[in-house]
Amino acid sequence: MLLLPFLALLSIPFCIAASTQDIHERLRGLAAANNGVIKLDEGLYNLLTTPKRNWSASIHFTALDPRRKCGPCKDFDPSFNAVAKAWTKVPAAERDSHFFATVDFDNAMGVFQKLGLQSAPVVQIHPATEGPRRPASGKTSPVVYDFGNGFDAGPLAEQLSQFTPVPIPYKAPVDYARIGTGAGVLLIILSGVRAFLPILRSRWLWAAGTVLTSLVMTSGFMFVRIRGMPHSGGNGQWIAPNYQNQFGQEVQVVSFIYGLLSAAFLMLTLVTPYQTHPARQRLQVYLWSGVILVMFSVLISLFRVKNRGYPFKLLL
Amino acid sequence: MPLAYSLPSNLSPATVANTSSLLRIIALSLISGAAIASRLFAVINFESIIHEFDPWFNYRATKVLAEKGFYEFWNWFDPTAWYPLGRVVGGTIYPGLMATSGVIYNVLHALHLPVDIRNICVLLAPGFSALTAWSTYMFTKEMKDESAGLLAAAFIGIAPGYISRSVAGSYDNEAIAIFLLMFTFYCWIKALKTGSAFFGTLTALFYFYMVAAWGGYAFITNMIPLHALTLILMGRFSSRLYVAYSSWYAIGTLSSMQVPFVGFQPVRTSEHMAALGVFGLLQIVAFAGMVRTHVSSKQFQSILYSSVIVIGLVGALAFGGLTYKGWIAPWTGRFYSLWDTGYAKKYIPIIASVSEHQPTAWPSFFMDLQFLIFIFPAGVVLCFRELRDEHVFVIIYALVASYFAGVMVRLMLTLTPVVCVAAAVAFSSLLDTYLDPVEPAVSEAVVPSTEADSAAAASPASGSSLGTDAAAPATGKKAKKAAATESSASGLASGLIAALSPSDKSSKPRGIFGLDTRSLVIFNAFGMLLFFVLHCTYVTSSAYSSPSVVLASTNPDGSQHIIDDFREAYYWLRQNTPEDAVVMSWWDYGYQIAGMADRPTLVDNNTWNNTHIATVGKAMSSTEEVAYPILRKHDVEYVLVIFGGLIGYSGDDINKFLWMVRIAQGVWPDEIQEPNYFTPKGEYRIDDAAPATMKESLMYKMSYYRFAELFGGQQAVDRVRGQQVPKTGPTLDHLDEAFTSENWIVRIYQVKKEDPLGRDLKSANAFEQGKKRKKTKPLARRKAVV
Repeated sequence: MLLLPFLALLSIPFCIAASTQDIHERLRGLAAANNGVIKLDEGLYNLLTTPKRNWSASIHFTALDPRRKCGPCKDFDPSFNAVAKAWTKVPAAERDSHFFATVDFDNAMGVFQKLGLQSAPVVQIHPATEGPRRPASGKTSPVVYDFGNGFDAGPLAEQLSQFTPVPIPYKAPVDYARIGTGAGVLLIILSGVRAFLPILRSRWLWAAGTVLTSLVMTSGFMFVRIRGMPHSGGNGQWIAPNYQNQFGQEVQVVSFIYGLLSAAFLMLTLVTPYQTHPARQRLQVYLWSGVILVMFSVLISLFRVKNRGYPFKLLL
Repeated sequence: MPLAYSLPSNLSPATVANTSSLLRIIALSLISGAAIASRLFAVINFESIIHEFDPWFNYRATKVLAEKGFYEFWNWFDPTAWYPLGRVVGGTIYPGLMATSGVIYNVLHALHLPVDIRNICVLLAPGFSALTAWSTYMFTKEMKDESAGLLAAAFIGIAPGYISRSVAGSYDNEAIAIFLLMFTFYCWIKALKTGSAFFGTLTALFYFYMVAAWGGYAFITNMIPLHALTLILMGRFSSRLYVAYSSWYAIGTLSSMQVPFVGFQPVRTSEHMAALGVFGLLQIVAFAGMVRTHVSSKQFQSILYSSVIVIGLVGALAFGGLTYKGWIAPWTGRFYSLWDTGYAKKYIPIIASVSEHQPTAWPSFFMDLQFLIFIFPAGVVLCFRELRDEHVFVIIYALVASYFAGVMVRLMLTLTPVVCVAAAVAFSSLLDTYLDPVEPAVSEAVVPSTEADSAAAASPASGSSLGTDAAAPATGKKAKKAAATESSASGLASGLIAALSPSDKSSKPRGIFGLDTRSLVIFNAFGMLLFFVLHCTYVTSSAYSSPSVVLASTNPDGSQHIIDDFREAYYWLRQNTPEDAVVMSWWDYGYQIAGMADRPTLVDNNTWNNTHIATVGKAMSSTEEVAYPILRKHDVEYVLVIFGGLIGYSGDDINKFLWMVRIAQGVWPDEIQEPNYFTPKGEYRIDDAAPATMKESLMYKMSYYRFAELFGGQQAVDRVRGQQVPKTGPTLDHLDEAFTSENWIVRIYQVKKEDPLGRDLKSANAFEQGKKRKKTKPLARRKAVV
């Protein structure tokens, strides 16, 4: 009586082995068909993340449909595909033990619900649970990729390589457009050295360059660049009401104000004295003094928006 | 020559000169007084105390120097820092600051003035700020004249951008470094102008002092070569440049290598390569010049010229090759982070985590420099107008420093001097123009009505002390003629063209008509200066004078309330713990613990060992079970955390916590992952919605341990994060709360010893509390199979 169930019990590993073999074959085919990225629906997702697997997988959750209005998804999608494509170039033995897959929200809402994912894109790395590639620590729960380095393919490949049997041979594509532009500009400059030399020797060109650079730098341009601040806030707000923060538009406004004030000073110092007509000169002096007073007041009032506790004010 | 207002004509030139020099001395001493006085807000508002973090180490080292002598200090090995590694202090610091205070201390004691070393340390920065004002005066004098120099001295004396690093008690390298920076630059300009080897040597000596005092010396190391290179490219090579640069480079480099912390870096690291390369280039150019004086063939000259270029290229290639091969050390991380701004965040979080290393938003510029920030471009343009060799220096300095100040908040300090200098040049040009009483001849188109009342005073006295450089116009006849020819084009455009023409000797008449225009502009200018003074006083007293060891808040009635939690806690450690008890805290507080509590620390502000810091980060961000073995292995007896949730002190450890996680993740990416400390929505929360990893972390537990009890059943609120803290707070099994300061800012926990019965501490604790040990689920009985 006991024999039959016992036999059945014995045969389970074989069945599973056979079925995992099948799944693996199927996944391989799917990956090969689509540049190394498997497009998952709910069923395929379950197959790929079957608890008994001797392969690992990087799964990318996204929502590319325009209705979902997911900007970051669109930014990140090419990077993931590029890394997956780079992975197809490694030898078959290693290649087939790690899969790249994409789950689109509109194809597999159930998966998103099951995992409780509220946002996209997300990249999960599922380590192998069996076989030689099972992690030594025994941790087989999925690892979430950290987008701290942005959406670029370079850091993604670097991070994912920790989970693949061999490092992903990803190389950033050569930006021929940029190289071409650079070479072109260089050629033009070289060919026209004679024509450009007077320009290079013109001190006022250099002066303009220096002053513009200084103005832009002292208006927080590098802050906006490094922090990746938006040009302006949502709801039409263009000035960040915070002392240690600013939007891109503030750089333009503030450097313009600085530049105007500076120019007014220079006008008073350098240009006005050469005016030989007393009435016109007087007009100029009053004009530029007025500009200084008004623009300085504007600047102070801007600063008061940023720093609420500032006790001083001029006209405004 | 018509005058707008009359000047006394009976003064001899000697009287004028003597009086103006007396006035200059008085003005300079008043400026020094103002510079020192405005830095004493910290002492008046609080007390004579060392500020912040790094100064505490400098103070401790200075005490060793003063008590035990220089050699003892030089060979000092500090076993209590970086426990259990220890730190060779003598070889890992810039000793200039300590040596300076040591010398002052010994001189004063030799004069039988028993001044406490702490007061010397506290007042060193204000004292040196007076010297900075003086050296800025000397520097600006070389750019324009004495009046511009005085303005520059006044600007730098009170500019908040410099005060922020030099208030009384801010005993840090920058306190003396800005003086050294400005004086080295002054010597360099002087050496370049005169071509004197004496001033070149003086430059080198002050450069050496700078190297011994501040890591920012690399700024000088690159500014001077950049200036020299630009001059060569502009075709302004001269024997003066050759002498000045060679004497500076040779002596300066050799002496800078005597500082142990610098050692052989000047010949090996790429930061110093520019100086070496320009030195080589100068030799080649000088050699070519010498050959040219002996050979007259023009073709030979062109061959020389091309060979110079070839040699330069070969040199650059060799340099690149050496770097590539690794013969010369790679660029250091801090240097990289200046150029590739994403670099630091990716590879060296420890640098990116320092708040001084963040980029600067525009309000900071305005706060620190106020109206100077928009006048200084005008000064740069004026420098372009004259463009003598020294003006090139100011231009390069302005360009480079404004970039660096934009990248890193702390480099505002190097921008401030050049802004003061350039702004002073612009401002004093404006004053020169409008104070000069000489009126130009009116163009013939209008009938001169103001000419009648003009006194026919002699022109030598005119504007003698107000800036003699203001171009005295040509004689009236000539001017009239010129005006007549150009009267049609006397609009804005022609004025612009005249202004842009570089020489002051243009024949166009120049000057201001009438008194009302003059008084308007002067009134405006003095209004701005007054506003600047008010601004500086306000910023200094309100923003930059807090010692950050002692905090202040205002009571409802307006009186000041002092929050002294840090010292309270450090003194508790000092008096209640054994002398060799190791205290673990985040590295920010290492120097303070060593300085005030005198206890060994695991990590401190000298962040030389990233792994050790990451170990502390790991202990803080892991669960108790993971952290406990780490603590025990490092002999940690006390753990100190800073918690601001009760009184709203935002610089606390929970706000720094993500950096601990990031730094730990850099070393143990498998065990610590930053995303686990965020909610699924990506928020950083500490309330009920906080993720389990966050709630289980040692830092969270130590911060909020028994916090909710304080509110007596009401909803506990963290005032920094503005979030509600869970009612049932975390429990601690492996640590005991040892001390919590008055306002809960500092919390100290004692690490428990292993349980004497060999149980793990968690179950031992449960037993103490009388909880029954939870039995593991019994195995399900096997059902008999039918």
